[in-house]
Amino acid sequence: MAFSLFGILAVILEAIRPFLWLIAAVVVIELLVLFRLLGRRGHAWRKALRPALLLGGVVMVVAVFIGPWLTSAGFADLVGLLDWLSLIGGSIAAGLVAALLFWPLLTLVGGRRA
Amino acid sequence: MKDRNLDLQSGRRQFLKAAGLGSLALGAASSGLVVSRPAQALSTRARIVIVGAGAAGIAAANRFSRELNGAEIIIIDKRERHLYQPGLTLVATGLWKPGKVIDRNDRYMPSNVRWIHDMVSEFDPEANQVTTGSGERIDYDFLLVSTGLTVDFDAVEGMSPELIGQHGIGCVYDNPEHASRTWTMIDQFLTTGGVGLFTRGPGGIKCAGAPLKVTMLTEDLARRRGQRDAVSMVYNSPSEGLFSQPDMDQFLKQEFPSRDIAINWNHRLVGIEPELKRATFATPNGEQRIDYDFIHVVPPMRAPDPLGNSALAWQDGPFADDGNWMEVDRATLQHARFPNVFGAGDCVGTPIGKTAASVKAQVPVAVENMLAIIQGREPVSQYDGYTSCPLITGQGRGILVEFDYALNMVPSFPFINPYREHWVPWVMKDRMLLPAYNAMLRGRI
Repeated sequence: MAFSLFGILAVILEAIRPFLWLIAAVVVIELLVLFRLLGRRGHAWRKALRPALLLGGVVMVVAVFIGPWLTSAGFADLVGLLDWLSLIGGSIAAGLVAALLFWPLLTLVGGRRA
Repeated sequence: MKDRNLDLQSGRRQFLKAAGLGSLALGAASSGLVVSRPAQALSTRARIVIVGAGAAGIAAANRFSRELNGAEIIIIDKRERHLYQPGLTLVATGLWKPGKVIDRNDRYMPSNVRWIHDMVSEFDPEANQVTTGSGERIDYDFLLVSTGLTVDFDAVEGMSPELIGQHGIGCVYDNPEHASRTWTMIDQFLTTGGVGLFTRGPGGIKCAGAPLKVTMLTEDLARRRGQRDAVSMVYNSPSEGLFSQPDMDQFLKQEFPSRDIAINWNHRLVGIEPELKRATFATPNGEQRIDYDFIHVVPPMRAPDPLGNSALAWQDGPFADDGNWMEVDRATLQHARFPNVFGAGDCVGTPIGKTAASVKAQVPVAVENMLAIIQGREPVSQYDGYTSCPLITGQGRGILVEFDYALNMVPSFPFINPYREHWVPWVMKDRMLLPAYNAMLRGRI
């Protein structure tokens, strides 16, 4: 049974529905930070990129290790390429999201210190 | 320094631009999911009655409410609770808390649908009328029957739902209370050890994979607790097969013996003596009594009496003999004798398909065909028998089995091998199928 893009979005919406308040709070904070940065000049976006990627990398590695545990499973349950690729792909996605969320915050913090 | 500032500002602009575009795209998609309506809703004054507010009934109500303009849509069901029944196997094996499968129907009920909090006690398709338990007669132009089914505990002599959770008796079906009490019994069985009997009702039952999953998860738990040698497990099949799809049947016929789960073929549970912890099976060689410490009782199932005793039920043939199931064309889901009546969900008499996954495939077909006949067109949309079972073989592993009327595998995700255990189907069962189910209830998938 094929799933349309709209259908996949609908399933994702249902998956995050219990956490919408949390996601909304994070989005508001990020937008506030972005607007704050918009009014300033010379903030070190590039300087903050490296630590943001580093933090994203840490999140990725942690996600690889706790991914199976979060699903009440263990590494022994990962039995093939599909499982490992899914775990690693999901962890990379988590790391990227974390890096993107951290980047403006670190830029703001770095700008203040400078 | 100026160049560096320009460079930084360029990076910032790109980030803001990307963030802005992303937000816009997400916002557009989300708003579409929340308030979308078809470009041209069908204008009609028709009265559509839906009997049953389970998965099929609510999903259909949401689709009708979006697709129709001016219609009177009525749904009849007195149940306020909505149960995510595919999760009951996980509750019965201690992996989920019961609260995770309990929801409320009003969260999914469209505002332009009239909800009558009662049960239908009589169908009168000749008069295009149903009667509720309180005696109210409700006329309809078009009827969708989605009553679900009845678990026939009385078909097993000595059995009643109240016994679940006592005398080593479990039953995953019907509600989270049964599933939760089943877990109490399985937990006790795994502590004390002994003989565990696992059964399966004959004929059409909902989620026919559930008896197998309960068996394999119990075996897996026994191993994890170091109690495997203390328990003896026997699966009693009422036929000479374990699963309707031949490849899976073959897999299970190897898997069970390899896990030291004995199989009794042609053993149909017909009686139980709770105080003695003794079960009676009808076999080709006569009745056989077997003592147990734990038994998973899976009674036969049938259409609810008001439907099964009405003119809407199959009047003869295998679907009448099996459970008085509702007569529908297996492709269009239209009633053969009453063309303004359609069926979806567990209550219909089709070769396979008493799962939530079947409902996901059936409801769009039934709704589309009802819209067609409202417009005076022929119903052309067809249900191919799609059903799915994430066959959980142990905590953390499963096989995503999807097949159709022809019993051919029809995988939704070609990269997931439907013949091999993986972690990914387990993750889907544990994390993604409930959101998918809720999206289905809202008529989004």
